[in-house]
Amino acid sequence: MKEIAIEEEIIGTLEGMLGESVLGSKSPRPRRVYIHVKPAAHKRAISALLQAFPSTIISTITGIDLGETIEINYHFWCGKAEVTIRTNLSKSKPEIETITDIVPGASLYEREVHDLLGVKFANHPNLTRLLLPESWPENSYPLRKDWNPKQTGEIHDSSEKTLTIGETRTESNGGSLVNVIVGPQHPALHEPERFLFKLDGEVVVDVEPRLGYAHRGIEKAAEHLMFFQDVHLVERVCGICNVAHTTCFCQAVEALGEIEIPSRAKYLRTIVHEFNRIHSHLLLLGIAGLEIGFESLFQYLWRDRETVLDLTEKLTGNRVMAEYSTIGGVRRDLTPILGDEIKKKLQKIRDRLSFYKEVFQSDPTIELRTKGIGVLSEEKALKLCVVGPVARGSGVKSDVRKHDPYAAYEDAPFKEILYKDGDSWSRFMVRLEEVGESIEIITWAVDNIPSGPYRIRVPRRMPRGESLSRVEAPRGELIHYVKGNGTAYPERVKIRSPTLANIISFREMIRGCYVADIPAVLASLDPCFSCTDRMVFVDEKNGRRWIWSMNDLKARRRDS
Amino acid sequence: MNPNIFFRILVFPGFLFLFVLILFCDWFERKIMARMQNRMGPSYTGPFGILQPLADYIKLLTKEDIIPHHARQFLFSLTPIISFSIFMLSIFCFPLDGINVFSNYGFEGDLLFVLALVTFAHFFLFLSGWSSSNPYSGIGAVRILMQFIGYDIPLIISAIGPAFLAGSLSLAKIASMQTIPFALLTPWTFILFLVALQAELEEDPFDVPHAETEIVAGYGTEFSGRKLAFIRLAKDTQIVFGAVLTATLFLGGPYGPVFSAPPSLWFTIYFVLKVLFVIALLEFVEAICARLRIDHVVRGNWRMITPAALLSVILTVLSAPYIRLFMGAPI
Repeated sequence: MKEIAIEEEIIGTLEGMLGESVLGSKSPRPRRVYIHVKPAAHKRAISALLQAFPSTIISTITGIDLGETIEINYHFWCGKAEVTIRTNLSKSKPEIETITDIVPGASLYEREVHDLLGVKFANHPNLTRLLLPESWPENSYPLRKDWNPKQTGEIHDSSEKTLTIGETRTESNGGSLVNVIVGPQHPALHEPERFLFKLDGEVVVDVEPRLGYAHRGIEKAAEHLMFFQDVHLVERVCGICNVAHTTCFCQAVEALGEIEIPSRAKYLRTIVHEFNRIHSHLLLLGIAGLEIGFESLFQYLWRDRETVLDLTEKLTGNRVMAEYSTIGGVRRDLTPILGDEIKKKLQKIRDRLSFYKEVFQSDPTIELRTKGIGVLSEEKALKLCVVGPVARGSGVKSDVRKHDPYAAYEDAPFKEILYKDGDSWSRFMVRLEEVGESIEIITWAVDNIPSGPYRIRVPRRMPRGESLSRVEAPRGELIHYVKGNGTAYPERVKIRSPTLANIISFREMIRGCYVADIPAVLASLDPCFSCTDRMVFVDEKNGRRWIWSMNDLKARRRDS
Repeated sequence: MNPNIFFRILVFPGFLFLFVLILFCDWFERKIMARMQNRMGPSYTGPFGILQPLADYIKLLTKEDIIPHHARQFLFSLTPIISFSIFMLSIFCFPLDGINVFSNYGFEGDLLFVLALVTFAHFFLFLSGWSSSNPYSGIGAVRILMQFIGYDIPLIISAIGPAFLAGSLSLAKIASMQTIPFALLTPWTFILFLVALQAELEEDPFDVPHAETEIVAGYGTEFSGRKLAFIRLAKDTQIVFGAVLTATLFLGGPYGPVFSAPPSLWFTIYFVLKVLFVIALLEFVEAICARLRIDHVVRGNWRMITPAALLSVILTVLSAPYIRLFMGAPI
């Protein structure tokens, strides 16, 4: 009852502040609010929301091509509920006022919508390409329904400006800055991404990240596959946090079809989700050790990570790509023998954790390299709308499991780990302690798992409607927005992975740091670029890029 | 001229012996590092993987050798060989099996000669990075200069301690004076020397010049094939050189109690064991440290290591009469 009150309170407050501009509002599920406003009123609605709930952060912006119009959805998490502010634009002249002046964290999302749907955000400070290559033709917007790959044709990599390494630019203030390019291929980056650092000696003055090198067109492809096929597609958004993606997508589809899954399945999803978190966090902490040149730490952490991978394999059948969640439940059951083994093995990891904690707290070289480096203040973290361990390292409460519980988290006993300092060290410590909390959750879930079926059969066809699902992926809040049109195919799938929310804060952190700090600070963000880049299928060979449609791809598959 | 000298230079204790020792130390280093990091280490090539370093070098020698278009061709080709040769030549000056490779006891002042040679060798490592015209190599090369110019000073100052106690600048004399190793008599100098040596050998926490995650392979980024083999060999020789220097100055070099067999056999055994002991020490420090930043390294040197080295020399001089009582040497 209390939750209903919150949603009604939000709708009431906003309707009171906006009056005539509100075209409609609804709250189909607990903690989900949709408010439809008139085209030019979105900014007023967002400022009203910010005024009423000061800790509001933007989750993402979804653009949907409705045929005649383009619908823009601004998703916000206001601390108590996910508020979607919706407005429609005409497709012939899609133009809308930017909100980056009131919500700086929206910058990348606006660029994404601009890139893929051709919506022009007026007065945006830097409305350039985010995901697509610079040589992508104008007026070709892949997420529009009438887009045809043939219309875009073959793309030659020519217009993209080639930057020379070590190029020196004299700035207007008289000082000279050196441009250093890190990436797309660099030993500190485990995935292709390019950063252009502007250096003054060894000190970083500014950085421009360029995303999109691992862009695969998953959102577009999802529209051409049925819901149950999409589960396997979104699993491949990211190799590390794959469980988070499937769980999130299945939850969204289940909410869309109003399917209630068995509670045993919810507990099993929780267990695998937490395995996934332990494995991801240990991986990242090992990488952190590698980036600051502490190879022994890296080797030790990755060895302990093996235990979790083995347990994941025993439960799901796969070491990394779990393929576990499915619409209507999970694919395999947990036996009591395996439950005992899980508890026993996790106890060992718990013992090792206290050792790692001691290392991180007392080792002088780790302290020199991470304490006070790459600071993101709480105020900035809120402003830039960062999520996950990055936000919690700056003292912002952002754990979706706690504030917007899903699966079995409502009853699970665990603490939200918060550190105040906002430096790299805090972000690493948050992750280290979260591993301990994950072990608590798994042990609790194994002990308290209800009996019953673990999967129910669901229809392939889903009703018309929309749903938004949030989970706490290892890297932070993950959002899947699914819109159904009454068939077995989704109308639109929108994925906002946590790295896209966090990458914007890198610029804030790295300013004033030394070159040698770049890898360590970047690692403390735990960036995952293949999560961040999705959508259009671009293959890169011999410096040329071309695009295949789904049919081309199918033809190729048949040929080979 | 002694016909024996060719055998000494080419086979024992010269090139062949040292080459085998260098390969063995490389294997030893990798193996104990792996065991400390909970790994297997080399284990397939030969018994316990002992032939792995040799296999690596043979493989590198057969690989394509690329010279970047922009590189200074002459310097780029020359520097790997020169830096390797200089390190090798410096090891030749040490008493290896009781006397040095040129079958004598060296000359008064060969300690200074060796230290000077090493500074030269570092300069050639710098040149090798500088000549490859790659930004990563360039940064790595500049970092070598910053680090080595700084750390040569405390290294040389700490090397004065044993020389002062032995009353000589001759390596053979310093080694033979140590009935009790100087490492036990003046532990403060020994520890400082090890820290400075760690920086000279670019081992963690001082491996800034080739920090993989920042600047790829530092000065060695552009090298491939035979040149890379020589750069690697130079690095391995450098580590053995560091261990030999430490063993000679602080652990009594090859000298020790001699039993029935010829003394040179015993001396060789002692020498190898002491070298391995020093390498194990260095690797242990490497295993428990993260990499520092270049500004930490430089600041740490001028603020802490160099003043401490000066203090340690003063302490050694003040306590010399008492130490000499222990040594049983004439004052």
